[in-house]
Amino acid sequence: MYWLKVKKVRKFAEARTVEIEFDRDLRGYPGQFVMLNVPDFEEIPLSLSSPKTVTVKAVGETTERLLEITEGESLGIRGPFGRPFSLPRRSCKVYLVAGGIGIAPINYLYQAIKNFIKRTGIDIDITVIHGVRNEKEIVYEYPEMKVATDDGSMGFKGNAVELFLRVLSKSSNDRVGVRVYACGPRPMLKALYGVVKDYGLEAEFSLESYMRCGIGVCGSCVLGGYRVCSDGPVFGVMELEEIFGDQKSKMDGS
Amino acid sequence: MSDTLRVHISALEMKNPVMLASGILGSELSSLIRISSVAGAVVSKSVGLEKREGYKNPAVLNRECSLINAVGLASPGAEVFAEKLRPFHESYRKCRGDKTHLIVSLFASNPEEFSSLVDFFPFASAFELNLSCPHAERYGMALGVDGDAVRECVKAVKRRTEKPVFAKLTPNVTDIVEIGKAAEEGGADGVVAVNTLKAIAIDIVSRKPVLSNVRGGLSGKAIKGVALRCVWDLYEELEIPVIGCGGITDWRDAVEFLLAGASAIQVGSAFYYSYRAIEGIVEGLRQYLIERGEKVEDIVGLAHR
Repeated sequence: MYWLKVKKVRKFAEARTVEIEFDRDLRGYPGQFVMLNVPDFEEIPLSLSSPKTVTVKAVGETTERLLEITEGESLGIRGPFGRPFSLPRRSCKVYLVAGGIGIAPINYLYQAIKNFIKRTGIDIDITVIHGVRNEKEIVYEYPEMKVATDDGSMGFKGNAVELFLRVLSKSSNDRVGVRVYACGPRPMLKALYGVVKDYGLEAEFSLESYMRCGIGVCGSCVLGGYRVCSDGPVFGVMELEEIFGDQKSKMDGS
Repeated sequence: MSDTLRVHISALEMKNPVMLASGILGSELSSLIRISSVAGAVVSKSVGLEKREGYKNPAVLNRECSLINAVGLASPGAEVFAEKLRPFHESYRKCRGDKTHLIVSLFASNPEEFSSLVDFFPFASAFELNLSCPHAERYGMALGVDGDAVRECVKAVKRRTEKPVFAKLTPNVTDIVEIGKAAEEGGADGVVAVNTLKAIAIDIVSRKPVLSNVRGGLSGKAIKGVALRCVWDLYEELEIPVIGCGGITDWRDAVEFLLAGASAIQVGSAFYYSYRAIEGIVEGLRQYLIERGEKVEDIVGLAHR
């Protein structure tokens, strides 16, 4: 474990979310996470939202404490861990689908793809679809973004998967050149997987599971036989088929 | 060729002597099944009567050729865990032909409790008694340092089942042979040597212990010499088979343990380095034996001659 100082904090009060920027690059890749050690609190896994940041929503003790974090404080880090997203390497149509705070790793992936386009000139058309409860929960915005809100306060009224289906069916793209990257609550990903399967699309989803060691030994995070911390958190369609298809796994939320 | 690695431990016939150690990737049916495609047997995460949350993170740390953990016997409890594991053999038969044994590891604070756990797991091929976890009060090592307690716990379980019962021993004792003999007297069909060493890690920046529980158990390469010595001594004094465990990372380590007197071995921490730890050990061991025209049983305890 090593210690980094917090260089900058961006608060999104209404969203009860905070973006924490560290004093150096964590040398990770989009889709990876760190185990964050907050002194006197439980160590938790957090996806990187950029090379130097984690974006945290307050849902428990440690994350509530992180809402109050100030510049200059030190935080313990193990990682980055996990299998990252694989970037598209040729011209294609990319959908980045996020549910709630799942926008964090998607944000990192978005930046990486944009950088890739700039470096190589390869034509990749991006659409970001973000599903949230209401407009207050939006923390990142993109020119290519479409928003779905449960209460209709912004954009499409409904959830991310419904919006994605609508956008997909209206688009004229050849299905072969379409890639879907997603991160969000498990029920959302399960529903989205159904769509991806029906349409025969390439996809990579970042999954979440209760983690203890983060390094692939304890087995606490296993889904469908795969260790989310080491074989994932990013999984492709073949693995997602096993994970979502595993009747006795924790997919029912138990 | 498939006979080279076949072994018998008590009533268990295993396709190879390499087992998955308890506490590693053994909390979910799906990971046990995945690993059973290569292992001779898999030992589940230790389970007790009641649900246990375990300790808060940080609970596991890797450093300096070792892992240190204080997961704290986190378990959903016998009833829930039995439901999870029940389909093991059906699911397994769907994927592969060669049977792998599911050994259920039990923890309890007294002989009656141990005995009552047996009935939850009629599908288990064998039981392993956790008499050695070093960081849970009243459980594990609390019993395992006391020969009388060990004897009584083994006896109670043996009265309840005809399946093989193995006692997993703690190295945190003055004389592990004394404890091993007590297990043997109680009717154990084998001993597993060893569980983790009592240990602590301190972070020099925060200047605090790293683990939330402060004390934990050390495992991995760093403890190999300790585990090997325990196997050696137990092999000399006990009649029942010794299953070696502690720092086995590659096939060479496996051979060392067999030569020291282990009839089979368990692998756990090595999964930190590679998910294919057991695969590598099995293939390396197979090659080593084939080159010499030997079987596993030919080299068990050979270093004692």
